Formats: sequence, C-alpha cells, structure tokens
Amino acid sequence: MDNHFQKEIEELRLKVLEMAAYTEKALVQANQAYAERDTDLAQQVIDNDYAINSLECDIDNLSLKLLALAQPVAQDLRIIVGIMRLIVNLERIGDEAVNIAERSLILAHRPPLSYNPTLEELAKVSLEMLRNALTAFKDEDTDAAQRVCDMDARADELDVSVIKKLIDHMLKESPAIERSVHTILISRSLERIADLSTNIAECVIFIVKGVNIKHRCSRI
Amino acid sequence: MQPAKNVKMYARNLDFYYGDFKALHDVNLDFGENEVTALIGPSGCGKSTFLRCLNRMNDLIPISRVEGAILLDGDDIYAPRVDVVQLRRRVGMVFQKPNPFPKTIFENVAYGLRVNGVRDKQYIAARVEESLQRAALWDEVKDRLHSSALGLSGGQQQRLCIARALAVEPEILLMDEPASALDPIATQKIEELIHILKKNYTIIIVTHSMQQAARVSDITAFFYMGKLIETGETEIMFTRPKNKQTEDYITGRFG
Ligand SMILES: Nc1ncnc2c1ncn2[C@@H]1O[C@H](COP(=O)(O)OP(=O)(O)OP(=O)(O)O)[C@@H](O)[C@H]1O
Ligand SMILES: [Mg+2]
Repeated sequence: MDNHFQKEIEELRLKVLEMAAYTEKALVQANQAYAERDTDLAQQVIDNDYAINSLECDIDNLSLKLLALAQPVAQDLRIIVGIMRLIVNLERIGDEAVNIAERSLILAHRPPLSYNPTLEELAKVSLEMLRNALTAFKDEDTDAAQRVCDMDARADELDVSVIKKLIDHMLKESPAIERSVHTILISRSLERIADLSTNIAECVIFIVKGVNIKHRCSRI
Repeated sequence: MQPAKNVKMYARNLDFYYGDFKALHDVNLDFGENEVTALIGPSGCGKSTFLRCLNRMNDLIPISRVEGAILLDGDDIYAPRVDVVQLRRRVGMVFQKPNPFPKTIFENVAYGLRVNGVRDKQYIAARVEESLQRAALWDEVKDRLHSSALGLSGGQQQRLCIARALAVEPEILLMDEPASALDPIATQKIEELIHILKKNYTIIIVTHSMQQAARVSDITAFFYMGKLIETGETEIMFTRPKNKQTEDYITGRFG
C-alpha cells in the first residue's frame, strides 16, 4: 500500500539519486580535466558545484519536514536518518571534486609531470567506490555496500604510494616541487573520496539493516 | 529460559473466548517490575481483552472463558481461591474514557479505600492528598475537593481516575488508551505521570498512538488478530523490528 508518506519518501530518494548523479559527474569530469589538462572542463566542475549544494539543502529540508510531520519509525525512520547522513558525505565528495578541478587548473598551466599510473589507478578505484556505493543505495544492496567498505584499504595504499613517489621525485628535481605538491593534494582528495564513499556504503547498511558499522560500532 | 529482569506478572499460553469466538491465541508475555509495557495493534486485535484478563475484568462477561495462566508474583490469578476484589486492588485499571463517579473529587479518590473497609478519616484524607499529588492533579483541585468531579475538564477527570486507582496502592496499573480523548497538554501530563509512576508501579498501557508507545514504554508488544506477534525493547521495536507485520503496522503500511 502506497500512502501519502511513502510517496514523499520516494520523492526524497529520487532527489538523492539526482544529487548522486551530479556528484558522480563532477568526479568524472574532475578526473578527466586533470588527465587531459582541460581547463574548461575543470572550470565547469567548479561552476556546477552550487547545484550539488542546493540539492543538499533541499533534501535536508524535506527530511526535516518528514521527521517532524510524519514522525516516522522503523525503516521509514532509518531511510530518512540514513539519507541525512549520506548527503553530507555526498556534498563533501562534490567539494573534493572541486579541489581536484582547482589543482588541475593550476597544473594545466605548468609543464606536465611524467605519467603516473598509480594516481590513475587511484582515480579509477575511488570513482568505482563512489559508483558502487550509490548503486548500493539505489538497490538497497548491502553486499555491494560491504564491497565498497572492503575496497577502502586499496585506496589508502594507492594514495601512500603516489605520495611516496612524488616525494622521491621532489628530492631529485626541485623545480618540480610545486607541481608535485598540487598532485599530492589531488591524490589526497581521491583518497578522501574513497573514505566518503565508504561512509555512504555504511549509510546504506544502516538503512537496510539498522546496524551501525561505522567505527565498528557493531558488526554485522 | 530464565528472564534477566524481575518479572512481576506473566501470561502463559493464554487463550480467551467470547462464547465460540477465540479472541486470544496462546499469548505468552512477561511484565517486568517497574517497567512500562505498551500493547499496540489494530482495532479488534485483542488488546483490551488481554488487558482485562490481567485483573479478571472479563469475569463480568458471562459467556467468556479463559485457558492458560496469568501469574502475579508467582501465583495464578485464576486459581479457585483468589479473592477478585483483592486482586483488583493490586492490579488497578484506568479506562479510555474518564469515568468519575457523580460524587465529589474527594469521594472519588476515597472510594476504593472505603470499599476496602478503611474507616480512619485522617488516613483517608492523607491518602487522597497523596494520590492526587501523584496524579499531578493536587494543585488544580486542592481548593475544591468537595465539589463535583463532573465539573472537571476531561484531562483532569482522567488524572482523577488515575488518582482513584492509585489511592488503593496497587502494584500494577493497567491503562486502556488513557489519553485518547485528551488534548496534547493533558496527554503530555499523563505521559509525564507514567514516567514518574513507573518508579513505584508496573504499568501496562494500551495505545493507538505509535508515538505515545514510543515515548512512554520500555517494552512494546504488538498484537494482531488475537496473537502476540512480536515483543521487545521499545527502542528496537521502533527502529528495527524483526517481524514484517510489526514493521508494516508501525509504519502505517498495514492492510
Ligand atoms: N464483550 C464482547 N463480546 C463478544 N466479543 C467481544 C467482546 N469484546 C470484544 N469482543 C471481540 O473480541 C475481539 C477483540 O476485542 P478487543 O476489544 O480486545 O480489541 P482491541 O484490540 O482492544 O480493539 P480497539 O483498539 O478497537 O479497542 C474483537 O473481535 C471484538 O469484537
Ligand atoms: Mg480496546
């Protein structure tokens, strides 16, 4: 039976999926802007961030309204609380995409550093984690969410390895220091995105199962 | 299975019939001492029937029949030698509609004591005041104790009925939708009262308000078609119930 309240929850979910689509697109474009030294694309990511932010506000307001007026319980309560947590992480991923775009703008005006396959791999892994976390939300799939959590260690590893490589490079070639630092910051952003995607996956597990696996609060 | 809490009262394999109609099916439920248990479920599922079994109010219905057992402090309340008046003193009841007697406020509260043979005027006066205090009504009525109870507002009448129930010092308080006819302020007063009373009493409350059950109770029991479907800590029942029917009912997806 679909009552009035169920429809509002569905509307809320759709808005989250819309925000998710914008965020995912921002990350794809930021990665591409870096890889292809495309300043127009980088600027586009920066300019479009307001859409993500304003959707966050909309979803937040709608969630608050539903909490106050419908006083939901059980799965209805969990989905709203879960969504409120989820969008905070999504919005931060948008911000990290902007960070990557800003670094890419700067780097595009400098001579390129040598090709860095580890950084490319990190970009791939963090995007995949974000995509899987969002699909897990869409399908309420806790197995997929768990796989995202399990991938986080890989992202951390790649980030450490990128930074190590770049530090070595800076030691050898001091003119490359500035470019290397910006690249390190991109790597950091990608690693944060992996963390934030893991948080989203944890939200999905909370929504579906009602257990909090954050900081190992309780194990499933 | 040994329950961890101190069980004040429990029902075992309880069946209840109105003539041929079986209104309760094999109900097993424990009530912990100083705990508030909320009974929830759709209209007609047997909440009131079950509540009335707990102080043998159903005895008044001639065609009714009980099978199974209800134990209070370990003794079966349906055992042959049980004094029902004494039982109802220990297990007090507050009904959905406030039902003060057409007497003064004072006499309403003193009623139970007089029925139980208390004569000491000073003692009665002290008990009346104390009960009205506990029911959070004293300040509103202390200057008109001898005017008619029917002149009180609905919320005040309901608290008067609670005071009347408390006057005989029950151990268990049964409440059948005690706030269903009250405004939010009176409802809040009753709910606050339940929080305070549970220090001294074991409380069992029937309510149609999910929010009320969530606010006042420690344990929630969900009934459907005469069966106890699920029971557990209220916090769990309202965040992640195990049973699909419970989930559907509390989230309003029922039917
Ligand atoms: N005195 C009676 N004689 C015959 N059947 C009765 C009697 N009282 C209740 N019933 C039946 O027993 C079933 C349970 O009724 P009960 O009053 O316990 O339900 P309830 O859960 O308290 O409902 P509500 O939420 O509407 O108060 C219903 O089917 C009802 O019709
Ligand atoms: Mg009833």
